[in-house]
Amino acid sequence: MSALSIVAEGPGKYVNWGVIQISVANLTIIGVMILLFILALVVPFPTHDEQDDQEGHSR
Amino acid sequence: MTTRAGELSPDEKKDPKNWTNRLRGRLEGLVPPGQALPDRQPVYVASWIYVFGVLTLTSLVVVIASGCVLSLGGVEWWHVTSLGHYTNSVHLWSVELTFGFMVIHLWGKFWMAAWRGKRAMTWMSGVLLFAISIGTSFTGFLSQSNFDSQWIAGQAKDGLNSVGIGAFFNVLNPGQMLLYHVVILPLVVGLLTLIHIILVRRHGVVPPLDADLEG
Amino acid sequence: MSRDRTPDSHDFPTRPYDLVKEFVIALIVVLVLSAGLAAIFSSPDTKAVTMSGWAKANPNDLAATAAGELAGTTTSAGYGAPYNTNGDGQKLGPLPLQKWAGVRLPVNSADLVLGPLSNASDIPAVTAALATWKTATPEQQTKWATAYTDALGKVDNDPAKVATGDYGPVPALSTGLVALAKTGGLEGELTSSGNFYGGDKTRSLLLLSDGAYLEDLARAQNLGGDQWGMMNEAGNSPGQPWMWLYTLWYQIEPFKSSDNADAQVWGIMMFLTLLLILLPFIPGLRSIPRWIPIHRLVWRNYYRRAKRA
Repeated sequence: MSALSIVAEGPGKYVNWGVIQISVANLTIIGVMILLFILALVVPFPTHDEQDDQEGHSR
Repeated sequence: MTTRAGELSPDEKKDPKNWTNRLRGRLEGLVPPGQALPDRQPVYVASWIYVFGVLTLTSLVVVIASGCVLSLGGVEWWHVTSLGHYTNSVHLWSVELTFGFMVIHLWGKFWMAAWRGKRAMTWMSGVLLFAISIGTSFTGFLSQSNFDSQWIAGQAKDGLNSVGIGAFFNVLNPGQMLLYHVVILPLVVGLLTLIHIILVRRHGVVPPLDADLEG
Repeated sequence: MSRDRTPDSHDFPTRPYDLVKEFVIALIVVLVLSAGLAAIFSSPDTKAVTMSGWAKANPNDLAATAAGELAGTTTSAGYGAPYNTNGDGQKLGPLPLQKWAGVRLPVNSADLVLGPLSNASDIPAVTAALATWKTATPEQQTKWATAYTDALGKVDNDPAKVATGDYGPVPALSTGLVALAKTGGLEGELTSSGNFYGGDKTRSLLLLSDGAYLEDLARAQNLGGDQWGMMNEAGNSPGQPWMWLYTLWYQIEPFKSSDNADAQVWGIMMFLTLLLILLPFIPGLRSIPRWIPIHRLVWRNYYRRAKRA
């Protein structure tokens, strides 16, 4: 195992909320995914459309 | 036109009984000319949400590559060498990335209603890919030859046996599960991925909802 | 959306785009992420439980499990298909799918004990016990074994504390199995194909699953079925977050206490998967993206320019 590994072989950390129980690791992953999705929707995508006067058709 | 169904190539018209001509015609007609690897995209393709398909695909490439390295060492290799263990870690994390990007890709395609415009097969092949990927990762967990494999096998057998599948797909048999994981399921995943991508190139990226053509 | 009026994507104006460069950049990003995450977080590798480990860590549990196999009271003994006909198994509604599949992986639970002892034990007490067992009637065998498992249950499965009673050869067989396990030879004896290269661990895993030791270890790591275990991994490793919906049903009634939970949950998940696959054809569901217009964010540039034009 890598010396930098922070994975412990003891029981992991869990978050409890009513019937829901989820590991901190899984919750982090899901949280990052939601964040990525939101960022993908709102962060502008570079297209240089203002400079691009030559629009052609695909055929 | 997105399809060339019914349109014969000049060679097919010359000799329609020639199987080679017919196959070549079929292959050439899969995707409109120049659209297999086009150097232009419709102007509405302008959002970061569009990169999650290629991120899923490239993650899958890393999954397969790291899996091949693991295969070079064999089933026990990752338990006994640090390089083997590191390769296993790369394999695990590239799988997590594949699923993460795949699900974000699914979210994006859902909210864009990407099945429109004759793209139902693209959507269906994608969902099928998702389901089969879950099955593939499942056989991977069974192939770890450690405590996880023992526990997961013992649990999963109950689910599969309850509907009769376990009689044919024995999760308590690591020999069978490993071969599913490295031969059968990767072939299915690869084939479905190819079909999915061909369909995307065939129909093009789905236009915006309520788009009218300009001019 | 009774008629799909989506225009052909190839009829739209285009801009230059480099797909291959996009692929290569994505590949580099994913390589760096995978290599980096692997270096920092590694991957868990909890060593497999061995029969010898089980015998040394919890010999009473193994002894009780062995007795249970002989009495026919363990999970595998009464499982039904695909291992035996001692149970009807689960149903999906009215359909006995488990039973229909048939006994394709025959396992006799008593043989999980008797087989290895017959082949691999040369302890005189065990050999004699085996002979006594084999010459007894099935009813007598069940009587001995059931009495012993009941008696064990009263003293926390400790064979040393069991009350005197008529248990026949069962105590000797049960402790004989524990002794055999301690030598490390039990897995080999249980390999299904009985050949040198056996790769099929069905019998070993069934014996292991019949005991409490494996499950106790798993539950300590939150891997139990009613602990959202399907999503989890040992330690602090990420598990399988994508299994959230599959495992969710096991956490709530009526599935939590249902005898047919596995079949029912499988049925629900197959149905939902089918719904997702067939989404393009399902009115209402396929219109959700119109009602909740997240797509206006995706195509905001296009809509703005189309409005101006």
